[in-house]
Amino acid sequence: MVRFCGNPPKTAGYPLSPSSNDSVSTWIRASKNTSYALQERKQFLIKAYHIVKASQIDSTHVRNLTTIAFRNLRLGDITLFKKRTSEALALATRLNDSFAIGDGHWNYASYYNQLQVFDSAYHHFDTANKYFDKSGHISESAKMQYGMAFIKGRFKDYSGSEVLTFMAIKKFKQIEDYKFLYSSYDHLGTLQNDIYEYDKALYYYDRSLEYLDEFKNNQTQYQASLNNIGITYLKKEDYTQALQNFNTLLKNDRLKLNNKDYYARALDNRAYCRLLMKDTLHVSKQLNEALQIRDSLGNKGAVVISKIHLARYYTYAQDSVKAIAAAKEANRLAEEIRNSRDYLESLSILATLDPKNSATYLKRHIEYSDSLQIIERKIQNKFTRIAFETDEYIEETKRLSEQKVWITVIGLVIFLVLGLLFLIWRQKLRHNFLLFENEQQKANEQIYLISLNQQEKLENEKIKERNRISEELHDGVLGQLFGTRMNLGFLVIEGDENTVKQHQLYLKELQTIEKEIRNVSHELSDNIASSQINFLSIITEVLETKSKLGHFKFELDFDESIDWQKINQIIKANLYRIIQEALQNIIKHAQAKNVSLFFNVDKLKLVLEIKDDGIGFDTKQKPRGIGMRNMTSRIKKLNGEFTVLSKPTKGTLLTIQIPFKSKKHDN
Amino acid sequence: MITEKYFVLIIDDHPLITEAYITALNYYSKHNETVNFSIQTAHDCDSGRKLIKKALKSEKHKYIVFLDMKLPQSKDGKILSGEDLGLLIRELLPNPIIIVSTTFNDNFRIHSILKNINPEGLLIKNDITPLELLQTIRIVINNPPYYSKTVLKLLRDQVLNDFILDQYDRKILYELSIGTRMKDLPDLLPLSIAAIEKRKRNLKRVFNVKKLDDRHLIVSAREKGFI
Repeated sequence: MVRFCGNPPKTAGYPLSPSSNDSVSTWIRASKNTSYALQERKQFLIKAYHIVKASQIDSTHVRNLTTIAFRNLRLGDITLFKKRTSEALALATRLNDSFAIGDGHWNYASYYNQLQVFDSAYHHFDTANKYFDKSGHISESAKMQYGMAFIKGRFKDYSGSEVLTFMAIKKFKQIEDYKFLYSSYDHLGTLQNDIYEYDKALYYYDRSLEYLDEFKNNQTQYQASLNNIGITYLKKEDYTQALQNFNTLLKNDRLKLNNKDYYARALDNRAYCRLLMKDTLHVSKQLNEALQIRDSLGNKGAVVISKIHLARYYTYAQDSVKAIAAAKEANRLAEEIRNSRDYLESLSILATLDPKNSATYLKRHIEYSDSLQIIERKIQNKFTRIAFETDEYIEETKRLSEQKVWITVIGLVIFLVLGLLFLIWRQKLRHNFLLFENEQQKANEQIYLISLNQQEKLENEKIKERNRISEELHDGVLGQLFGTRMNLGFLVIEGDENTVKQHQLYLKELQTIEKEIRNVSHELSDNIASSQINFLSIITEVLETKSKLGHFKFELDFDESIDWQKINQIIKANLYRIIQEALQNIIKHAQAKNVSLFFNVDKLKLVLEIKDDGIGFDTKQKPRGIGMRNMTSRIKKLNGEFTVLSKPTKGTLLTIQIPFKSKKHDN
Repeated sequence: MITEKYFVLIIDDHPLITEAYITALNYYSKHNETVNFSIQTAHDCDSGRKLIKKALKSEKHKYIVFLDMKLPQSKDGKILSGEDLGLLIRELLPNPIIIVSTTFNDNFRIHSILKNINPEGLLIKNDITPLELLQTIRIVINNPPYYSKTVLKLLRDQVLNDFILDQYDRKILYELSIGTRMKDLPDLLPLSIAAIEKRKRNLKRVFNVKKLDDRHLIVSAREKGFI
């Protein structure tokens, strides 16, 4: 029975771009050339490696690396192979190049397959398949599945193997890879053979032969198929058909020359077939010829089969000594090469041939087949686990990515909520601050109003008092003084001339005193200046202090008809603040030499103009400071209008119009 | 020579002043034997009014009244000052010789007195001396009027500045000069605030005051003898 190597042969998995990879591919190709010595070929690969290393790190770079690694494996350079593959895998992971990752795993799978560490090989095939499948490399993915199917078949997981093979077949059909379709169907036939479904096996072999016609250089495969079909018939005990197949094989004269292995196999199988047909003519000779050829090729597995067949022949020929010897030889060899199938068969032959030791052989047979079963079961479990773990991994990844999405969404939501809360909090804080400031301002204004009122009251009292004193002086003191003086004048002074003169002089003096008192009285009652003390005096005061700070001259004009008493105190308080603010701005920015304030009334509007001859500014630009904004907000609060006229170097004119309601019965 | 008998009423709230007047009158009659004075005094508006009524009943021919402007007002509130009393005298007594003597030396008041009472003698108390008082008596009896120096000055100034200011204008100027508020003016004058404003603007034009400030107006008016 023939099994193909389970490792799907690697071909260039991707198109080598001719420009950048010329030298690399040349060296790789050279390393394949068997006409060079092995050492030279290894050297070629090292050169190729250096060229790759010098190139830019990209997908091509990584893929070249995996190819070189694989060639290393082929040349039996395991250390370099491992080094290159791990390097390639690391790079591929970094580049997130699925194909290259798959390729790397494929390399490992080949390596473990070669070492016959099938569970690891299976694992790498599986991983490689995932990456190839993900990146849409159908051909590679199918090959990986084929490799996995092969390993599963080897460990008698027939159904698992079948499923994988069908999956691979579907993909191969899609890309019309006839060689692999042939191999896949051949594998299916082998699987059916193993479970004794010979008709099905024959059907699959037929199917495989159909695909065989689709590609060239198919001789080897054809011969293998004929052999497999023959063996199937043999097992089916349809010896005629089997014989026919083997004869067809052996009819090919070139077989003996080109493929001695196949020839020996065919020869051996035909002889065995004849033996089973009980036609022993030349059987012994042919069996021995096959054994000889196989022995010379050093194919121990094949030698074992030859020996078993010989043992069977000797049994038939009732030469039990030779039979036992052959069987024992087969048993030993099978054990040596760990061919369990042949080992078991040799044991069962020995058990029938050697009645004395039969029990021992049977026992060994049972023990070995049991242990074999356990191993197989274990490995099958392992495969399942690998598949499961991968599934689980996929699940986990999905779950994780979902989790990631959730975390992101929740995080975002939390962030937004927190952000919003922060904003609200800040807004509230600001609001509170503004409220506080507002209250503060109100309180300030209140204080201002109170002080203004107080000042006015004080001023009124002062005026009253002055008037009272003035009146007192005028009407009381002055009158009495006058009376006294007159009376003194009419007094007839007896005395000398000098005394009379003195008398007259004192009278004159009295008159002067009277005059002075009168003047004092008049001055006291002259209250015109102090009657104006109120709002305007406060404004004047502000202007005086600010003008000293800002080094400017000021002028304050106002319409006499404005009755400041009738204007709401709140308006006045705000005007006061606005003027302060405006003057502050002038001091800070305007560099003005002259500032004039002018109050006027226009119907029911109080108009204030503040003019300076400073540097001015561009009114289109938004004011940076809080001053202008404060003024605007104050004026807005009073339902007033505010216009700013200014040009750079042309000074500034602020016009403020505030509607006022006359307060009746005020004061 | 026929002795002329004068019925003299002295209305002044200062006893010292009435004393002085009496001394002066006595001194005058002593030196002029043809003149004879019968003197009565009052110190407030009520007693002054009573005196006038009494004098009316006595049917004397000639009346001389010394009248102070500043007097305690009558209890019924009808007579507020010497000015009102002066009007009453003019109304009731036949051809009285009124000598107003006042401490007021401001132009407005003087103008007002001249206009309303048109006294035969107008004395500003500070101006006069005993000699001048005697002269006053002589002039008002023989050839009125007699104005003391301040009054003459005022009249002279007014003639020089031929502004035509009516009593309301004067009143406005006067009130402003003593510190009366604009809002209180309508209570003192039979004019609305707008009318007062208009008059004030006119006054400023007349006095050539460009400033909007009242102060300048008052100063200018005072300089020109209107207050």
